[in-house]
Amino acid sequence: MIRERKDFACELSDRIRLAKEELRLKSENWEELSRKVEESRTSWLVAGISSPLDIVRPLPERPRNYTALSSDGSQIFPDRHEALPCYLINISSIVLTYGDKAGARLGSGPSLFYRDEDRFTTWGGKRIPADSEVISLKRTLMEFERILELVKGNEAVGNTIALSDGTLILWRLEAAPPDFRNGIMVPFLRILEEFRTLRVPVAGYISHPGSTDVINALRVGLCPEKVSFCNQCPYTELPELPCSPIEGLTDRFLFSTVLDAGEASAVFKSSSKILEMYGEHHIYFFYINIGEEIARVEVPKWVAEDGRLLSLVHTLIFDQARKGKGYPVSIAEAHEQAVVKAKDRDFFFSLIREAMVKSDFAVTVSRKGLSKRVPGV
Amino acid sequence: MSDYIGEVVESGTKGFIARAPRVGEAPPFGSFVRTDAGSPVYGLVYEIITGSREPGRKPDAYDMSMEELRREQPQIFELLKTEFHVLTLGYLDAGKIRFALSPLPPPIHSFVFECTDDEKEALSSEDFFLRAIITSPNVPADDLIISSLLGAQRARKSDKDFMVRMGKSLSRFLKDDYERLASILRRLL
Repeated sequence: MIRERKDFACELSDRIRLAKEELRLKSENWEELSRKVEESRTSWLVAGISSPLDIVRPLPERPRNYTALSSDGSQIFPDRHEALPCYLINISSIVLTYGDKAGARLGSGPSLFYRDEDRFTTWGGKRIPADSEVISLKRTLMEFERILELVKGNEAVGNTIALSDGTLILWRLEAAPPDFRNGIMVPFLRILEEFRTLRVPVAGYISHPGSTDVINALRVGLCPEKVSFCNQCPYTELPELPCSPIEGLTDRFLFSTVLDAGEASAVFKSSSKILEMYGEHHIYFFYINIGEEIARVEVPKWVAEDGRLLSLVHTLIFDQARKGKGYPVSIAEAHEQAVVKAKDRDFFFSLIREAMVKSDFAVTVSRKGLSKRVPGV
Repeated sequence: MSDYIGEVVESGTKGFIARAPRVGEAPPFGSFVRTDAGSPVYGLVYEIITGSREPGRKPDAYDMSMEELRREQPQIFELLKTEFHVLTLGYLDAGKIRFALSPLPPPIHSFVFECTDDEKEALSSEDFFLRAIITSPNVPADDLIISSLLGAQRARKSDKDFMVRMGKSLSRFLKDDYERLASILRRLL
């Protein structure tokens, strides 16, 4: 096993070397690759290119005073074996202010959903019970609503960053029917628009990213065709496709050889299909070496195109990650404040049962639920 | 309620634990304190602990001065708590301090206040508090005797004989342990 892993690591380093060389070569004529990427049709997500690919952006100076805002959510999903069909979403609020007026506000607030309009959703014209997928998307929306409230409630808006854990690309909505998709997307884009009006950059932070958008762009570059159409690939008879030598690499591997601590990559455009709905908020991304790892940072178009906001995101994310010993402290605290543990879940349902008993309301739980609570011998 | 120095978070007959409103701002070791709700309970602070609010999280080293920490890592002060443990000395019974355990412990979430000089004077008018300390397991008895005596002396400005009277009481309580008595008396000077 160890030998196989070692062989794999050697092979990987050869591929990374090749990818790095490609990055350099394609940067010399990046406009051509950019055009080819635009015109090609592949089955993968390919990074849109609007500058040399091997640009290294040094760490900008951090403003002495700044505020980092974040929110995260956690939920108790409905359990049909429990006494009442309801669910809970707990949303955290983090405001960390640094510098002369340093301070911290950490907290969270739960919301209980039990009414029919909360328990059911419209999906392709049909009324279906809200499942984990629906509740998770609702939770994501609530997190962004909370961050926006925090921005509005915060006095100093200058040098403020709104940070979210994970991607800003709601790709899970791609497969959803338009009625449900719009129910999430319209308010989400409205929130992004408010951030834009307030000039507060919003950024999604992805630790240990598995994305391959830039590698895929280089694979398009390796394709001998003038324009690549993967579904009409003329090289399938060859022992190895021309684009294969760097297949299997992630962008993280590549940029770990390009970026030193604090440095950020060029900004790329995501080609995720759902982003067709985003308009002015189309998501762009870059990679940053935060010292301990390469992270992916996603920002809306209006941040990517504003040099000041982009520099602010770069330096503040690096500072946040340094403070959090490798992971942005505001996002880490947002998680800590929001998390609902198994013990909390049990307590929640037992509170509901108790409240029902106190109100002389018959409590019926399924035999399965009962059997789990009181296992016999 | 702005001048309270703690809030009871764990309550028992022999003593209670209170949370300081701000990290690191507990009443000093050996302070005379009282609760406010129900029948007030009087006691002595014998332990002060600052640590993480959450059992699963431990404070880490940051290699920064306190000022730098407040400026650059402000969240950590929200994640810490300071609690102080109080040994019960007595309670208020029909307007009079009774040197005995209260029939009921102070209610949870009662506020804790530092005793006034008059209260300190009343609590130290007899040597009962010294006996309470000496007979309590799990308190740093000798140091608590010293700190409480010094605190009581400060409150009883005009009472020149106070230390002599208490010294005599101590010599009675510790008549079988001369070394211990001598150590306490030497440290009181």
